[in-house]
Amino acid sequence: MEYYISTEHLTVGYDGVPLIENIEIGVRRGEILTLIGPNGSGKSTILKSMIRQLKLLAGTVVLDGRSITEMTERELSKKLAIVMTERIRAELMSCWDVVATGRYPYTGRLGLLSSKDREIVDEAIRMVHAEDYAEKPFQQISDGQRQRLLLARAICQEPEIVVLDEPTSFLDIRHKLELLEVLKEMVRSRNVAVVMSLHELDLAQKISDQVVCVADHRVDRCGTPEEIFRDEYIRELYGIEQGSYNALFGSLEMRPVSGSPKTFVIGGSGSGIPLYRALQRNGIPFAAGILQENDLDYPVAKALSAELVSVPPYRIPDDTAAERAEKLIESCGSVICCVQDFGEANRKNQDLLAYAKSRSLLVEPEELFQSVKGAEV
Amino acid sequence: MRRFSVLILTAVLLFALLLSSCTAPSGNRKDSDGPEWSSLTEESKLKLRYATQFQVTAYSGGYQLIDINTTGKFLVVPEGSSAPAGLPEDVVPLYQPLDRIYLTATSAMDFFRALQSIKNIRLSGTNADGWYIQEAKEALESGDMLFAGKYSAPDYELIYAEKCDLAIESTMIYHSPEIKEQMEKLGVPVVIERSSYEEHPLGRMEWIKFYGVLLGKAEEAQKLFDQETADVEVLSGQPDTGKTVAFFYINAAGTVNVRKSQDYVPRMIEMAGGRYIFSDLDSGNALSTVNMTMEAFYDGAKNANLLIYNSTIDGELQTMDELLNKSRLLSDFQAVQNGNVWCTGKNLFQEPMGLGRLISDIHRVLLDDIPEDGALTYLHKLKN
Amino acid sequence: MKKRGLVRLWIGFAGLLLALFVLVLWNINAGSVHIPVWEILKILFTRTGENTVIVWNVRLPRIISALFLGGALALSGFLLQTFFQNPIAGPFILGISSGAKLVLSLTLIGFLSAGIAVGSFGLILAAFAGAMLSMGFVLAISLKAKRMSLLIIGGVMIGYICSAITDFVVTFADDQNIINLHHWSLGSFSGMSWENVGVMAAVVIPALIFTFLLSKPISAYQLGEVYARNMGVNIRVFRIVLILLSSVLSACVTAFAGPISFVGVAVPHLIRSIFKTEKPLIMVPACFLGGAVFCLLCDLIARTAFSPTELSISSVTAVFGAPVVILVMLRRQKEHL
Repeated sequence: MEYYISTEHLTVGYDGVPLIENIEIGVRRGEILTLIGPNGSGKSTILKSMIRQLKLLAGTVVLDGRSITEMTERELSKKLAIVMTERIRAELMSCWDVVATGRYPYTGRLGLLSSKDREIVDEAIRMVHAEDYAEKPFQQISDGQRQRLLLARAICQEPEIVVLDEPTSFLDIRHKLELLEVLKEMVRSRNVAVVMSLHELDLAQKISDQVVCVADHRVDRCGTPEEIFRDEYIRELYGIEQGSYNALFGSLEMRPVSGSPKTFVIGGSGSGIPLYRALQRNGIPFAAGILQENDLDYPVAKALSAELVSVPPYRIPDDTAAERAEKLIESCGSVICCVQDFGEANRKNQDLLAYAKSRSLLVEPEELFQSVKGAEV
Repeated sequence: MRRFSVLILTAVLLFALLLSSCTAPSGNRKDSDGPEWSSLTEESKLKLRYATQFQVTAYSGGYQLIDINTTGKFLVVPEGSSAPAGLPEDVVPLYQPLDRIYLTATSAMDFFRALQSIKNIRLSGTNADGWYIQEAKEALESGDMLFAGKYSAPDYELIYAEKCDLAIESTMIYHSPEIKEQMEKLGVPVVIERSSYEEHPLGRMEWIKFYGVLLGKAEEAQKLFDQETADVEVLSGQPDTGKTVAFFYINAAGTVNVRKSQDYVPRMIEMAGGRYIFSDLDSGNALSTVNMTMEAFYDGAKNANLLIYNSTIDGELQTMDELLNKSRLLSDFQAVQNGNVWCTGKNLFQEPMGLGRLISDIHRVLLDDIPEDGALTYLHKLKN
Repeated sequence: MKKRGLVRLWIGFAGLLLALFVLVLWNINAGSVHIPVWEILKILFTRTGENTVIVWNVRLPRIISALFLGGALALSGFLLQTFFQNPIAGPFILGISSGAKLVLSLTLIGFLSAGIAVGSFGLILAAFAGAMLSMGFVLAISLKAKRMSLLIIGGVMIGYICSAITDFVVTFADDQNIINLHHWSLGSFSGMSWENVGVMAAVVIPALIFTFLLSKPISAYQLGEVYARNMGVNIRVFRIVLILLSSVLSACVTAFAGPISFVGVAVPHLIRSIFKTEKPLIMVPACFLGGAVFCLLCDLIARTAFSPTELSISSVTAVFGAPVVILVMLRRQKEHL
């Protein structure tokens, strides 16, 4: 299928100074193309150029087979709608009024709304589930509600492509999800193309059909999320040196605390994760074990622990692992156990617990934090 | 759409036309059914000795044509007569008796007082507080004269309703031409009084003859003028005293305002037998005064024999301390050290008829010929 | 809510029209000469009677001027507030009155020193030319400027430059000019003639209609430039048209009545708080009416409060306008919290 909007040898920048050269990206109808990349890399510049807010320095943007520079304002406004980061003033306007401005390209000389226009506005509001506050003043609603209404406004414009610049910034997690949900719904039901920039890699990974990585004033890589979201590449793209990125979960972890481990955590099936993070926050280096590499605890433990005893997926820990763990327990001098249930697969952990008890090395997490703080004083 | 715009445009134009055609019947100008203008003969010209800003020509039938420099021509029509037919467009008829006058040119009031015609002024552009001429103040307080707004914001309604027959304005009206136009639309002729443009001090006084013509009191005017100038003309025969005089005031900004050398005040000083201390002050513009720095004034007037403080704008001074408070530098001045500092009365510039007496005053001060009671008309000595 | 808005709309317009009607009548009736109502009615319909001239040549042209010029000021203020998205923008923010004053003083001084008396129409033309001149500079800046705040700075600076040159010219001119220019800088509706009314109607009415027809792009612009452009507004042309319109309106006021302060700033705020809307379709006619009502009221006060001394219109508008601006801004702030 043909790209609905694509760039050819596009160079963008401000005041005639090129910022990013030779951009070749494209998106089909019914697809979402997401631009990711560090701050200041030029994502917004590309978007602003594609919607004709910035002059193109070279190359063209082709929309539905025609260069956008050849289109009249009116033609373009019927095909392309935007949701930008600029705060809109909209003083003394109700939410409904703001959404209704999307009908602008279709109304007559005085901008009066027909009953059909009104229906379209109502429907767009229903689509973003904003019926409850549609009559409220636009200035008095939350950021999340605002973004949704701006999306409804774009829907009203009946575009074939919507361009969004960081639509989820400033939103809490719930509103982020809801907004992208609505966006996805719109793409499906109206078969529109979407080009947007996102900061949240986890969200980008989940919603995008195509991902474009912009870094250091160039388009670094394009591809499906599966091709792009790999631990090493993301670390490199954002220049992450201080922590780690988990591509599968899209989660970030802080850098492990350095030093010899002060405690040994017996974890498994997610039970250890809160403690790992608490220890990291409190600056206490720790060892963890014994984990199968398909255990829920494993990625976090791997990212945060100073020492980790693990075995390959689906293997039952053997004596070698247990011996290593015991040695670590010796050197740590304390053990915290997060696991309640023991069975065939974690029998060795049960043994470790018994070992710790017998040597009265088992402590509660609070005791450990207390003693570390006491030592510092 | 285009048809819509054309429609609107037409409507607008029609409306504008309608509005501009709404001109109401103009003023109370009388019909001119008098004799044919061209049939009138010129009989005499009014003799003027000093004034150059106006001329009066008498015509047969008692008509008198006044021509005021750069302002216009007016034909004074005697009571009972009609304006001549075929009067040129640029000649404005003034019908005697002119007894409902609106006066904003304050310096003219003195002439009306001298001619005992204050009752002819019905409307004033200065309210009671603004007058130093007692008769005018009283007339306003008693209601014989009404305040009708200052020259820049006249109360047209009152002026019209009072059937005003003449407005006498100062030259300031040049800068608000719309006021003159509106007056004329209301049928009120506007005369601009230019006595302040007379270079000779006695030329200013001679404007009394102009008002004499307007009021039909030409003879009285002539007599008064001769009286007031007689004393001064005696002085002109006397020798120069050689004493130097500075005439000045210090404004709020601390600079010194002095008369230019060609102004009428230096001329009065010369007529009184003195010598104006600044002999070549002229900056080439139309101003009659110059603001100079204290330094330049110190340099120029330190050795003046006599200082006259002009209290027109700033208020009268009574003591030397008040003067020194304006500037300590003045204490170095010869005239200050000799106690020879005089101040003008505030009323001076509302009384052009008094210019002759002012000249006499200066003359007496220069000769040290002060009457026993110390009373001069316009000058008083600053006390130590 | 929608229904309530509609009710508010009708009540608002009905109230404004009623106020306009009452004030026009009151203005015709009030003055230093007392004319009974029946006589005024007779004069209005038959144009006969002793006081015809006072009603027809003094009061009516003045009333109609106050109406048109007040409306023009408020409209110009509304346009500039929208344009700059700045609540204290007013018609004279672009240095228009200073430009007018400069050319006016040059004309007066030039002609008078040459011994030529200038007619009132000449002065009107001079003031208008001056206003257009400073507008030309602002327009030139607007073609270069990316941010609108630059335009305000440009306008204010042009104002300063013009004032400085005026001062310079005045310093070296006749004494009497100084007094007069001071008077001129205060503004007044006094002495308007029917010819003046005709000319201002021919300027203000087309500008009003044209502004009304621009309601749609103005409403788009209210969301911000980025969205307006996306909605198909040609921002460059729109900017120029808006500056031209507001300048022509305020230049017209300046030329006929001098700079009149606060009407342009205060009235749009008042109208907003009455109608609770920013929609240009409502704001344009409502601001025009509001400005007319405001100026008629202020002129009534200026004329009659200390009659026959007339107050300058700006001192009255400032007394009423400044508190309005403060109150409205405080109230709006509360609404936002």
